[in-house]
Amino acid sequence: METDKLAQLRSGDPVLFAELVRDHHRALIALTVPIVGISEAEEVVQNAWLKAYQAIGSFAGKSAIRTWLGSIAINEAKMQLRQRKREWLFSDHSSEDPYTEDSLAQRFTGQGQWQHPPALWHLDSPESLLTGEQLAECLERLLTAMPDNQRCILEMRDASGLSFDEICSELTVSSANARVLLHRARTQLFKLVDHYEETGEC
Amino acid sequence: MLKCRDVVNTADQLLDGDMNHRQLLAIKMHLLMCSHCRRYVRQLRALLRAIPFMYKKASDTEVSKVMEHVHSHRDNYP
Repeated sequence: METDKLAQLRSGDPVLFAELVRDHHRALIALTVPIVGISEAEEVVQNAWLKAYQAIGSFAGKSAIRTWLGSIAINEAKMQLRQRKREWLFSDHSSEDPYTEDSLAQRFTGQGQWQHPPALWHLDSPESLLTGEQLAECLERLLTAMPDNQRCILEMRDASGLSFDEICSELTVSSANARVLLHRARTQLFKLVDHYEETGEC
Repeated sequence: MLKCRDVVNTADQLLDGDMNHRQLLAIKMHLLMCSHCRRYVRQLRALLRAIPFMYKKASDTEVSKVMEHVHSHRDNYP
């Protein structure tokens, strides 16, 4: 974020803050759904925005704004669970051999060479890769069907940019398991995009 | 010698900068020789950059709802 804009935002400019809400609200909802469930995510994120507005003056700009907002939203979600006397049951279950079952497993020969290598993707910009109308719908379906634990780590790490240390401490999960879950989530996404880029369908 | 399957299994670590010298050397040697794996790593990197942008922007109604909530706590303005 540019320095001028950041300074304006820190001073509490409501127009810029509304722009921030427009850009990040859906991501924060997606981040908190695996923690509090879909019915409470909106309330949690509303409260997170209030906290963010109150604290925006102290946002140093060292991390990405999404990461800063993500941490606030996760704290709000955990507070909501405490207030409702519920526990966050994060399942870190993953099979013993972590890589045998990822989504790209079928793309290799028995010797571990590519049998069906990746298609060549059209890489115009990060903003455009996942936002084509048809792909966006398939992506939404994929994310909805993804196990909560994989989705949760994908949202934290890849969508919000939280560090592995922070994720492991929030989820009380080992770094090895967090990486396995993230790998599984990423390979599902890779496979979906690859198929779409190859065939125009998904 | 690394196999393509191993590259896919460890590309996450590579992109996170979380590899020791030995692992890094092994994967770089493989990538020098294997165009499929180079493509995989390049496209995985692009995918990871794209993930933060995969959400639609919030609607006017959603934005208004948040801003009303924020304004209703006017005393707590920064």
